[in-house]
Amino acid sequence: MSERNDHKVVLPIGPQHPSLKEPGSFKITLDGEKVERAVVEIGYNHRGIEKACESRNYTQDLYIIERVCGICSHAHTSCFCQAFEDMAGLEVPRRAYYIRGIVGELERLHSHLLWLGVASHEIGFDTLFMYTWRDRELVLDLLAQIGGNRVNYGVNTFGGVRRDLEADLMQDILHVCDQLEEKIKYYADLATTETTLIARLKGIGVLTPEDVRHFSAVGPVARAAGILDDIRVVEPYGVYKEIPVNAVTDDHCDVYGRTLVRVKEMLESIRLIRVMIREIPEGPISVRAPRKLPAGETLRRVEAPRGENIHYIRSNGSDMPDRVRVRAPSEANWHGMSYMLEGFQLADVPIIIAAIDPCYSCTDRAVSLSSGRDEQIASWDQLRLFGIEQYKKNGIDPGSIAIRPF
Amino acid sequence: MNAEQVVSALNKRFPALAAHTPREFRIWSDFVEPKEFEAALRFAFDELRFGKGKHIVGTDEGEYIGLSYIVSNDENILLVLREKVPKAHPVVRSQGGLYPSMVLHEREMVDLFGVSVSGLPEGPSYPLPDCWPEGQYPLRKEWNPAYFNKETMAYEPPKEEARE
Repeated sequence: MSERNDHKVVLPIGPQHPSLKEPGSFKITLDGEKVERAVVEIGYNHRGIEKACESRNYTQDLYIIERVCGICSHAHTSCFCQAFEDMAGLEVPRRAYYIRGIVGELERLHSHLLWLGVASHEIGFDTLFMYTWRDRELVLDLLAQIGGNRVNYGVNTFGGVRRDLEADLMQDILHVCDQLEEKIKYYADLATTETTLIARLKGIGVLTPEDVRHFSAVGPVARAAGILDDIRVVEPYGVYKEIPVNAVTDDHCDVYGRTLVRVKEMLESIRLIRVMIREIPEGPISVRAPRKLPAGETLRRVEAPRGENIHYIRSNGSDMPDRVRVRAPSEANWHGMSYMLEGFQLADVPIIIAAIDPCYSCTDRAVSLSSGRDEQIASWDQLRLFGIEQYKKNGIDPGSIAIRPF
Repeated sequence: MNAEQVVSALNKRFPALAAHTPREFRIWSDFVEPKEFEAALRFAFDELRFGKGKHIVGTDEGEYIGLSYIVSNDENILLVLREKVPKAHPVVRSQGGLYPSMVLHEREMVDLFGVSVSGLPEGPSYPLPDCWPEGQYPLRKEWNPAYFNKETMAYEPPKEEARE
């Protein structure tokens, strides 16, 4: 349903909408097909994580922080752990930094592959969507091998990592890198030669370098405007102090540029993983961490797949933080969204929004506020049964489906 | 301009900030009154070229609400400038004119800390839902999630505590 305003049409899109799988509301004022004004309303995924952290100890908080986002969970725990280790004065073993780096780059690979699939879907190029999501499975399988989960791998802990990488597993990672490199090179070739794809992406959602500074955009959005905004390069941390990153930038300043940056970054991630596996030192993977932090505060940042991720911790000397603040990269990239949409065609709205790789959960942060009453926590078995019942209601019997041995 | 030069320039002009740089790429300062904070932020923007607004950390300081504005320059230094306002009457001015990226974070200060931000551009509130009860600010220390009823969206502290 839309409202009329003289000759303009105000089109509400969302909060539930088909273009992205998370809720966000966009009020688009149209002059014909042209977007004249866009009002973005987010916050539907606010779950109160920062408040929840204040009433739990640091170890419990680490698990909550991992759930800020399903895609870049490792980036969040890496940042939170670094902030903790900074305040505790912990000397993290080098091997742990390498493992964090390898998992971090695998996460970047699966995040960018996911994005490339979503972006392809938004412009009707579903073949590429299926290719990239098929390839992403290879990375998710590796992450499941490392941490037991496809998302929320639980690798990081204060003072290091919880899981070592055995030689066989590292060989598997290298093997997948070989497979992916070939495919990603094909996508890079596609991105620079496929005329329909280029025509749909070039010249839309423009942010010039001045605009990027004005709106404080980060990550691939900033790098696609030629701005070297990669925390791994500008403020190296962990393994990146030893293994420098070749930052990828582009000067198209549009959705096309953001696509090129992400595709090239995947090749750089593969290079980094190979170097890290070659150079990984022997030794312990963690040191013992204290339960309490001395009173004080710190501000740490890492380069998540979507850009600069900043965590603030203030300690009052106890085992629970006085304040935790998470500024995820998606939160930074929303500021310029209305500006990016204005002046372009309605048909370009989904891909312009998708081009910042928005994560609503990251932006809004949180976990369900518990009232302490009537709270229902479902067990894994209950969830499984619930899923089976839901499918049966829709005429599908999951028990009759043959499952490939895994 | 490196961090030491920024600290020196800030402290020369605004000694109350007591700016210091405990580690590379970070400059911290003390809480100051809104008027001094606004002048310091303007100075950082105009003279020190801190043109990127990163975010705002709100903190409950007991009698005060603290707002720590984190801004950055092309050298990627994070500068923390802070203002404090009385919790009983927390009013600040929007810095969205200097940093458009701060508007969303200022809306958070409104919803989560009950700070009144004058000059905030019109727009949807963020991040609490429209049906959130008036006068309930979840990131204030006295706000206890155990007393919040998700079904009725009402905050119901025990009677003795409510009287306090």
